[in-house]
Amino acid sequence: MKLTINGETKDLPDGLAIPALLEHQKVKMPDMVSVEVNGEILERKQFETTILKDGDRVEFLYFMGGGAGL
Amino acid sequence: MHAQPQHMDTRVLHDAVKPDPETGATTPTIVQSTAFAYETAESLEAVFSGREPGYVYSRIANPTVTQFERRITALEAAQGALACASGMAAISATALALAGTGDEIIAGNSLFGGTHSLFSRTLSRYGIVTRFVQATDANAYRKAITDRTRLIFVESIGNPKLDVPDLAAIAGVAHEHGVVFAVDNTLATPVLLRPKTIGANLVIHSTSKFINGHGHAIGGIIVDCGTFDWSSPRYAHLHPLHKRIGNLAFLSYLRSQVVRDLGCCLSPFNAFLMMIGVDTLAIRMERHCANAGQVAQFLAGHPRVDRVRYPGRPDHPDQALAQRQFGGRYGAVLTLELADRTSCFRFINGLKRARNLANIGEVRTLVIHPASTFCREMSVEDRAAVGVSDNLVRLSIGIEHPDDIISDLEQSLAMI
Repeated sequence: MKLTINGETKDLPDGLAIPALLEHQKVKMPDMVSVEVNGEILERKQFETTILKDGDRVEFLYFMGGGAGL
Repeated sequence: MHAQPQHMDTRVLHDAVKPDPETGATTPTIVQSTAFAYETAESLEAVFSGREPGYVYSRIANPTVTQFERRITALEAAQGALACASGMAAISATALALAGTGDEIIAGNSLFGGTHSLFSRTLSRYGIVTRFVQATDANAYRKAITDRTRLIFVESIGNPKLDVPDLAAIAGVAHEHGVVFAVDNTLATPVLLRPKTIGANLVIHSTSKFINGHGHAIGGIIVDCGTFDWSSPRYAHLHPLHKRIGNLAFLSYLRSQVVRDLGCCLSPFNAFLMMIGVDTLAIRMERHCANAGQVAQFLAGHPRVDRVRYPGRPDHPDQALAQRQFGGRYGAVLTLELADRTSCFRFINGLKRARNLANIGEVRTLVIHPASTFCREMSVEDRAAVGVSDNLVRLSIGIEHPDDIISDLEQSLAMI
């Protein structure tokens, strides 16, 4: 499937849930990242049950106010 | 062999401690940099917009300070921590992150003078009301809870009253009502007690005391144990963050809003000094506690001393609880009562080695007369509540040889 991740189009295996996507994309500090799918911020408890599909737009966001450290 | 070290003596040296991955340096690297440069405008934009994690500006986060935060997080077996410029900064930031105008804090009435002043004078001006209750009466906390309560705050050992609240019982009250329970663990340190194990949600330290240990840096830290459900209805301002990052909501709000805006950051060099202190924290506490026990015994038997207060003494009202809560160790701080204020001053002036200064938890033995110094702004009633009379002297016992500490006290008592 094709996903748009942080504005870039990427080819990914079908049927990925969010935790698998975070791992696949080697997202830094996965415990701290927020995930937005098609403009909607997911709650953490939705990560496991959200299966991505072709054409989804995904954004990774960090809410640390400009500075790692947690 | 356990994969993880089980003993605090080992953990202070090895938990969250690794040689620098680039240089192999074995002491913490001091990143004395105000800001952090990025190759491209796009990459800095990505950090500012939150698409990438990274350091930006040391008021918000700094790699050396992060190392210190990780070490305390590991010692407290917690979720995360945020270091501040002082213990008072840590308490102020915690209160402001949880309570706003019209909200309430419940605190033990034997709080350290600085914290008492913050709650009763400064925060009250902004409409945050603190209800002070008998610190050791768990029921009093229950009775003081209202719909507006946002924080229950206690010290694991009161300073300088040296009373010991039943933390597990107070935690039970806080949990029943979905209120955050914060423990100021400065006097006990993680060596005597990890408040998470008795139900605390947040732990606060003035790291200027035992954690630093050497009296050469001011600092504080807020530890989130990871045990509070931040979707509790009392904390609606944290709910949007909770939806996004779950239980990291409080730490994220603290860093990206409160501490960022207040600017009460710990300097990288002070974080370095704190980490050097952490290395020896366990062995120092062992010696501090053993020495304090011996000094308390000596003073209790001295004819010129009217009263000694130390949680390890059999005549201390909370001794049995203290024994259970702190594993048979009782800290380094004790107080004694002499005939009057003049005797106290003579005693302090006659000491050859103990230093007369406003601190505790240094390697050297320290002494102070609380009523004329850090408690002088308090009303007589408030002073009585914190156990400070005009004839009271506070000692913070150091790690010198106990015989030398006692001989110094003995020669001065002989002169009063």
